Amino acid sequence: MNSSLLLSITTFAYLLCTVLYLSGTLFRYRPLLVSGSIVGGFALIVQTAGILLRWQESYQLGYGHAPLSNLYESLVFAAWAIMLIYFVLELRTKQRILGVFPALFAFLAMAYASFSSQVDSKIQPLVPALKSNWLIAHVVTCFLGYAAFAISCGISILYLFSKTASSSNPHPKGFFAVLPTPRQLDQFNYQMIVFGFLWLSLGIITGSIWADSAWGTYWSWDPKETWSLITWLVYAALLHARTIQGWRGSRVAWLSVLGFGCVLFTYFGVNFLLSGLHSYATK
Amino acid sequence: MLWSIQYKVTRKVEKDMQPKKGWLDRLYQNLSSMRLTISLFLTLAACSILGTLLPQGTTLEELHKQHGPGLAWWIDILSLNDLYRAGWFRMILLLLCVNLIICTLQRLPKTLKLIKHRDEMISPERLEKFSCHTEITSSQPLDATQAELARIVAEEFASLQPLANPKAFSAVAERGRWSRMMVYVIHLSVLVILVGALIGSIFGFKGFMNLAEGETSDEVMLAKGRQVITLPFQIRCDNFAVSFYDNGAPKEYRSDLTIIDKGREILSQSILVNDPLTYEGVTFYQASYGTFLKQVELELENRETGVTQRLSLPYREVVPIPGSQDEIEVMQYQENFSSFGQAAAIVLLKEGQQPAGSWILMDMPEFHGNRIQNYRVRVLHVEKSNYTGLQVKQDPAVWFVYFGFTVMVLGIAMTFYTSHRKLWVWASTGKKGENSTKVFIAGRTNKNSLAFEQEFNRLCARLRIDLNPKQV
Repeated sequence: MNSSLLLSITTFAYLLCTVLYLSGTLFRYRPLLVSGSIVGGFALIVQTAGILLRWQESYQLGYGHAPLSNLYESLVFAAWAIMLIYFVLELRTKQRILGVFPALFAFLAMAYASFSSQVDSKIQPLVPALKSNWLIAHVVTCFLGYAAFAISCGISILYLFSKTASSSNPHPKGFFAVLPTPRQLDQFNYQMIVFGFLWLSLGIITGSIWADSAWGTYWSWDPKETWSLITWLVYAALLHARTIQGWRGSRVAWLSVLGFGCVLFTYFGVNFLLSGLHSYATK
Repeated sequence: MLWSIQYKVTRKVEKDMQPKKGWLDRLYQNLSSMRLTISLFLTLAACSILGTLLPQGTTLEELHKQHGPGLAWWIDILSLNDLYRAGWFRMILLLLCVNLIICTLQRLPKTLKLIKHRDEMISPERLEKFSCHTEITSSQPLDATQAELARIVAEEFASLQPLANPKAFSAVAERGRWSRMMVYVIHLSVLVILVGALIGSIFGFKGFMNLAEGETSDEVMLAKGRQVITLPFQIRCDNFAVSFYDNGAPKEYRSDLTIIDKGREILSQSILVNDPLTYEGVTFYQASYGTFLKQVELELENRETGVTQRLSLPYREVVPIPGSQDEIEVMQYQENFSSFGQAAAIVLLKEGQQPAGSWILMDMPEFHGNRIQNYRVRVLHVEKSNYTGLQVKQDPAVWFVYFGFTVMVLGIAMTFYTSHRKLWVWASTGKKGENSTKVFIAGRTNKNSLAFEQEFNRLCARLRIDLNPKQV
């Protein structure tokens, strides 16, 4: 038993979970949705074990660091965070239909981590810049934020779907009929954005304090920093837009999709297209 | 996407403007508008994107080479190659601060008034206008109902504050009264952080120093303007070491530093990448390292006299060649000279003549070009030494900025995870006689209305049951 086996099982379990949630939604068949939750919950437990095992393996190799140090490990953690936050949301809202997108995102993150030739899954030792207690605080806070924004993006897509459906037909049929009401979706979306915004702020702040202790500057307009600020600004705009009459709903949903686009660019785009201080995250 | 939203925003703002007011009022109105805030956020985001796409800190020459003179002129005039320090970018930031301050000036008094506002006359007609309201009939007389209401509402929500009302019992209960203030806390933290950054950039400095092992210095090369400043104390590098993992990746960069103040060794400390040294507010960070040539040992063969001799040449020091009027100096050194390996640029100085020099290939001792005039040069031994690259910083306002960070996080958490929720209760003897009471309840929240509705419905469900105990 090793961590890569557990994480491979996780990848396929998330695929199965996505298929179950999606078919349960499309066919409006509750048992499929319930089994989606069960498979997803099982995958989350296996993944937790996998991450912990990888942590232990890094000690056995003599490196001894938390599994949050490169692209592979951050993708695995992103998938874990998405599913963890999603299940808390599901328990609170009892809306299993919201699971389609989180499960899909978690699967895509795991699949990219496992199968892409760009991503090295080997446990590597920490380079001097990463040897800091801030590593765990910075990565965990950032990715909790990113994960919440991923879920919010999924909810926004559902919102935009249901809004178009309900505006053309007050009594929607098909899978629109099982969707939560637009008002509920807007509310769930807001909860996820607020949660994400708090963690993103903490992520930027911990990163900033770390940069000050490693490089002597808490803000240097490095592309990664700048893009995280851009993301923060978009969500800040969204939160302000929500307080203006008539801006709730579709505009907020579009801004949330845009915000998640910024998250993705901060995460992948900056690594592959722009150069900067975060270059260790590309390997 | 960004631009279309902003376009609509500007249009809206224009429509909202009052034509009768003077331009100062209109300006004030615009500066206090939330739509301006959103436009500024998105504009800042869009401009920042531009700065990440175009390499920053490039010189005008490099721009000319890459983009041609026309585009380079535009990039230079708009300082797009140093965008985040450009005046117009700072102006947007300043505008955001002005917007924030004016919004606060305009809204804070209203919020304070709202918080202080307590006594209200309420009636069933008013309560029915709330989106969250209900009517309950209690099977108990008014005084018993009143007591029960006070007990249950206090248990489930917050203690009821009775209002002066001669005709009926009326009361309010509220939670999170100060939650409305928290948004101002976030806004204040933004100002604190920006002011802290400004103070730091005025009263602090950022620079760089390269210290060879054994070297002592007090000169810091500033990042801005290629200036040199002198520290009030000296710093010495005793040793620099780099270690590697088995796979070749760097494991640790370590500099052993000593602070010397007024000729006395004050403290010695090793620094690592994440573990800097601070003395008198100046912090030294491990930033880079390199090697440099310390001394070269040569074999010189004078082809005119046939004399061969050995010489030690310290780097960039003129050394006389014994038995002649000639002098020799190592001017430069390269680790890999045109892929021929190590090479040293050596210069021969003869009296009354122009200096003559040549690149001597160290790794190819038999190379026919390893000669300068009548001397054949053979490098026997190279002595190299390490230098450490230190980032040097002084920022007197960093704690101010950290304070701003802390306030911001607390502010965000409090703003979004507390809400001002208020409950109004009105009760009066019902028509059926002394033994029944009519109760109206209404509630309102400033955010998360869905969760509040659930809370409200739970409370009402409990009241319905508890105010109508089963007759035994």
